[in-house]
Amino acid sequence: MSLLQEERKIILGNEYVETFDFAEVENFVKNANKELFISYHYAKRAKMLVQPRGGFPTYKKQFALNEFFVNANVDVLPLTIDSNTRLNDYGTAAKMLRLSEENDVDMLNGYPLVNHGYRTTRKMVTHFNKPVSLRHGTPDARLLIEQAIASGIFDIEGGPVTYVLPYSKNFPLDKAFLYWKYVERVCASYSKLNEPINRESFGPLTATLVPPSITIVIQLLEMLLSLEEGVKSFSVSFAQQGSVMQDIVTGHVLKKLAKQYAEKINCADARINLVYHQWMGAFPTNQKYAEQLISLATVVASIVGADKIITKTKQEAAGIPTKEANAETVANTQYLLRILNGLPSIHDEQEEEMLILQVNAIMEAVFNDPADTLWRKVFNSIKNGTIDVPFSPHIINHNELITVRDSRKNIRIIKRGNVPIPNKCFEYEKSQCDLNKDTTSIVDDIIHDIGIMQ
Amino acid sequence: MNPNKLLIDVGSTYFKLCANNNLEQHFRNFNKSIFNDLNDKCRQTIQQFAPENVYICSSANGGLSALIIGLTKSFSVKYATNIALNSGINIIDTILYQDIEKASVPSDLIDVVIIVGGIDSKNNVFGDPLYKYLSQINYSNVVYVGNVPDASQVKSHIPNLTVLPNIIDDRLHIIEEVLRTYLTNLYQQDIEGKEDIKELYQITKNQIFSTPYIVNRTLPLIDANFSVVNPFVLLDIGGATTDIHYSKDLVVDNLVTENEFDRLVFKKLGVYKSRESLVFVARKNEFVGELLMHLNVTENIFDEHSEKATRILMQLAIFLVLYKMSHYRPSYINLKLLAINSVVLTGGITKVLKQEEAEDIISFFYKKILTSAHRPVAILDTEYAIWTLGSGIRLEDHSQTRHEGEA
Amino acid sequence: MKVVTGVVGNDIHVVANRLIDLSLKARGYEVFNLGVNTYLEEFFDACVETGADILLISSLNGEAEGWSREIKTLKSRYKGLDDLIMMIGGNLTVGTGDPHTIVPKYQRYGFDLVCHQIDLNTGLDMLQDFIAKRGHSKYKESA
Repeated sequence: MSLLQEERKIILGNEYVETFDFAEVENFVKNANKELFISYHYAKRAKMLVQPRGGFPTYKKQFALNEFFVNANVDVLPLTIDSNTRLNDYGTAAKMLRLSEENDVDMLNGYPLVNHGYRTTRKMVTHFNKPVSLRHGTPDARLLIEQAIASGIFDIEGGPVTYVLPYSKNFPLDKAFLYWKYVERVCASYSKLNEPINRESFGPLTATLVPPSITIVIQLLEMLLSLEEGVKSFSVSFAQQGSVMQDIVTGHVLKKLAKQYAEKINCADARINLVYHQWMGAFPTNQKYAEQLISLATVVASIVGADKIITKTKQEAAGIPTKEANAETVANTQYLLRILNGLPSIHDEQEEEMLILQVNAIMEAVFNDPADTLWRKVFNSIKNGTIDVPFSPHIINHNELITVRDSRKNIRIIKRGNVPIPNKCFEYEKSQCDLNKDTTSIVDDIIHDIGIMQ
Repeated sequence: MNPNKLLIDVGSTYFKLCANNNLEQHFRNFNKSIFNDLNDKCRQTIQQFAPENVYICSSANGGLSALIIGLTKSFSVKYATNIALNSGINIIDTILYQDIEKASVPSDLIDVVIIVGGIDSKNNVFGDPLYKYLSQINYSNVVYVGNVPDASQVKSHIPNLTVLPNIIDDRLHIIEEVLRTYLTNLYQQDIEGKEDIKELYQITKNQIFSTPYIVNRTLPLIDANFSVVNPFVLLDIGGATTDIHYSKDLVVDNLVTENEFDRLVFKKLGVYKSRESLVFVARKNEFVGELLMHLNVTENIFDEHSEKATRILMQLAIFLVLYKMSHYRPSYINLKLLAINSVVLTGGITKVLKQEEAEDIISFFYKKILTSAHRPVAILDTEYAIWTLGSGIRLEDHSQTRHEGEA
Repeated sequence: MKVVTGVVGNDIHVVANRLIDLSLKARGYEVFNLGVNTYLEEFFDACVETGADILLISSLNGEAEGWSREIKTLKSRYKGLDDLIMMIGGNLTVGTGDPHTIVPKYQRYGFDLVCHQIDLNTGLDMLQDFIAKRGHSKYKESA
């Protein structure tokens, strides 16, 4: 038995998990309907896939949510996992699940997949026969992913950087890299049986003034960390940033560089997909305005040429949306996509050139790190501020990179810290902004820039 | 393992030698110096190797002792403690400088005093109370890793003080490397009472490190040889002390260090030299009655000196270490015990206990203390692979190749 | 002047924490930011290690009442913090609350400056006024 297999047995020997039948799960994946594989749909490229977010604690409620989505013509069903499960606290998740079931009240903010188990969850997944995407935010997702794949969930979101830096203060990042390597290997292993399991990085990060170069670098690195283990279908992603042009430029550069870097490590046979998140920052409380914002995002996603769009709802500012509101956005988005025809192809050569230079410079610095594994190079780069994510709560993040918006709402870097963007690019970024104001005003600007959609 | 290397581990109770994949183990004769004892028992083996190819590590005499004088628990004391523990030092005590006038004076000789506190832009931290206290204690070495402005003043008051850069940077983050290098080098320095160790430089040209330091550095690599699943802990139950090395995601702290694993040591839990104190701790434990019943023995076992008694004590040691890390005993560190997937055991215990015996005690602990069905897997390092792996690697090479496991 | 700052409470308030950090730096303070989820003891310890003049605690989830009572006892264990300027800002209660009762209450807990639901710039102006009035002996020109 290989070391990985031994590790899997121990992980799946967890006391909260029903007996895991390896052979049966393999058989299930091998014979699973192609419809369940998002990679299969991506490969067809028939249309932009629409995927909402959502997860309820009980099986009943989750099932009802999925029914609403399917009736609204959703392409991909979400399964959002609760926060206790994300922190591997299956004990509390179990208690809260029981309370939720007994009292018909939501004591969890998502679906506790490990406690429900794969046999139960698979019933729901196969009933709807649509691809399901796992949404969570888990540094140690080993057990969760095993349960997910066994349930028929073949789109796995997350990564060691994107699921730690935005959420955690002090989870040891080096451990996260190890745990996500396990996930990549398991996904790669199952991918040999049928259509590939798709992995998706979480591009939005902190969704607060993150400059495109940082977003793209992290996407590329998580992609490489996944591809090098044999994953054959990977989605890079980013969130709506606030400037239409900047989104278009980001989309072009991300697609182009993802392909190039995949080729560099001899993984040109992997399919790379692009996912676009509707606005992830603060939403307007006025629901009609919120609907406009959502429509705008859909238009931008189309121009960008995204393969999948992840929707929000008009109730975003109020909290967890009702299934009705959620399904409504799905229907609206599908309608809008249907009528968006004859979109022009838009390029800004200069912006793209500048962005490519920035990204390549940072990637080169990462690769030049003396560590001999890619994950440790990335870890060291985050530790020494070569990669710096604005507004990350993590103690390892440098917090020296500062960004503001220019007059056209593009996010610009005005202080680069240790991030090695070339001087030419840095001067260009700064030249787009009005830096003659005093620093207190600049901080005020940042506050406004964060809330531009409100 | 490189067949041209001779590895020697000098423990508090016995030596281990590993040459050409051949392991030898000998009880020590405390009537002789370590050097003479080694030569008497293993001369033939040792003579086959040139000093460049001999690597020695030691946890003899229970390792080195330290006293840390710092400003605050969350920063200076915590950082110095973390660095010292991971360097293989055993902590005697920590003192908050503001309380130094009331602090008790240790009577034992201290191997190293570490003075730490204040970021570099702060000054006037240390003064007469520090010098007065130091004049009352016995120590072999003293090192200052506090704020830079005070350094010269402190140096002028303390003879033979080594001054090193601050271990706290301007962002209140830890800087481990310089102090760690200093502490791991201590075996090479003029340590009073450790003459024994210095003699060993007659048979080796390589630096002698403390064993816990070697083990700690090896841990990120052991999953190449063992099916160990993170997060894990490693218990090194020795003759004089028990070390526990734990994966950093088992604790919540705000330290960004190079180490993936931190170490704690329990000086009272050893099965030979510290047998009495182990028995004492065991007797005090409120669960000892049920534990002994579970092991099918009575309290009389504490007075026995048989193989069976040693075996029981080893099982007790496992239980007591886990107990000390649980919420029952709010101590320096509390581990997320329910997240542990593997417990690795190394040291003499692996020649005595079987895997099932170890797992049995571990699951008893989880059931009794944590009322949980959690059962970490026990892995016994019976071939001392961890030690050989650690001693064989070049320690200054931080980017040691990891063996990425096969899918 | 040196300021130690951070948030007692959880992650989603990292934005506020960072904005406070940037604003303080913009006004010339030297900032030691402990981030979110910081414990009281860490705050005081940081003030000791850095020689901070000011401690600015953010509490944004309305739960400050719970831990504020411990401040005086905890602070009394430290020998060098008597001159420390203590400031608290954010949402100090759940709901709007009455500033006339909130401010004196937190002052009794040991805070010199209490900013309940007050805008960041206004709050920092208040701090600056307070420092000027106090004629702090350790006051240095801003960097």
